[in-house]
Amino acid sequence: MMRHDPERAIERAAAELRRPVRFGSAFDERVMAEVRGLPRHRLGAWRRLLRPRTITVSPLFSGLAAALLFAAAISTGHAIGTAGSDTASGAEALATAVTPSKGPHDVQFVLVAPTARKVSVVGDFNDWDSAHQAYQAEHRGGGVWSVTASVPVGHHRYSFVVDDSVWVTDPTAPRVIDDDYGRPNSALVVGETGR
Amino acid sequence: MDRGTDGQVVARVLRGDVEEYGILVARYRDRYARYALHMLGNREDAEEALQDAFTRAYRSLVRCADPERFGAWLFRILVNRCRTAGARRARRGRTFVSDEVALLEAAEDHPSEQSAWREEIDRALARLRPEQREAFLLKYVEDLGYDEMSRLTGVGVSALKMRVMRACERLRELLEDVHHLREEHEVNDATRS
Repeated sequence: MMRHDPERAIERAAAELRRPVRFGSAFDERVMAEVRGLPRHRLGAWRRLLRPRTITVSPLFSGLAAALLFAAAISTGHAIGTAGSDTASGAEALATAVTPSKGPHDVQFVLVAPTARKVSVVGDFNDWDSAHQAYQAEHRGGGVWSVTASVPVGHHRYSFVVDDSVWVTDPTAPRVIDDDYGRPNSALVVGETGR
Repeated sequence: MDRGTDGQVVARVLRGDVEEYGILVARYRDRYARYALHMLGNREDAEEALQDAFTRAYRSLVRCADPERFGAWLFRILVNRCRTAGARRARRGRTFVSDEVALLEAAEDHPSEQSAWREEIDRALARLRPEQREAFLLKYVEDLGYDEMSRLTGVGVSALKMRVMRACERLRELLEDVHHLREEHEVNDATRS
């Protein structure tokens, strides 16, 4: 009986698993059919240069940031945690606030951004679409922007987009890392009965 | 069909040419199909996860910080979709089944033994914990370094090394007998010819 090397079993299994897998062009057609049904991107050259990106505010600049930006998510839904919460505590707070539920509730998003020309809210509840009409904030004077929009009950991630170019996390809400894209967002929990 | 770098294609899609996205789909479809298939264990779930990853990537294309590395960004999305799909399947209690097409292809190459060996590998993979299967596939099949794996999964390097080690230990146990028999068959075949 021959002797065999256990490590060789792993190598041979890996070699077998490295064989190509082909889904074929029918798969492409399904993806493209779905993509064609989604809103088309329309970013011109200038806007591409300024396209949305996430910025985060370090504690060093928090005083300055507080003077420029003050945001809150209030009303029937509510953001949990406090400004400056780190990812871990945000995630923990989210996990403890699970509220199973039914219909959506109106949530008011407020951002103080005195120099902004446009403010919108993006989140998993609107497919991160900064052009979504229902989530365009209006200027209320004094640099205060706000919008009240319908958000389904449950846990959500969101950000503000200022002037179509800068993503701003909500300093009054816990920050969470977006699982898919690795960027920080703000956490929002909308309860079944509101508050 | 090479229609430029990923960054160039992404730029055209962002200008509104949705059909250009098909270039990226064709470019990465098979490369990432393998990971999804081995991670989820059946073609239906794998196709669904990969389609979902492509759709999410399109929706959020404006958030792709480095369009020249679209493939790496898409892979990150896929790894997360596979985690979600795996967890959903676990909740449904769905069983992990072999990749029927791969088995058929293997059977065409080398009839019964090859397909039996392939089936044993699929079965062994299915018996790993999901996080161990993920780490093993990224390391041994996708050939990624630990730093890259860490960036991709958000898991620390030492934890990933531990997962790979545990996965290998478990696979050795599960594959030992069948691999031993396979080697003996190969020696016998070589002797006969």
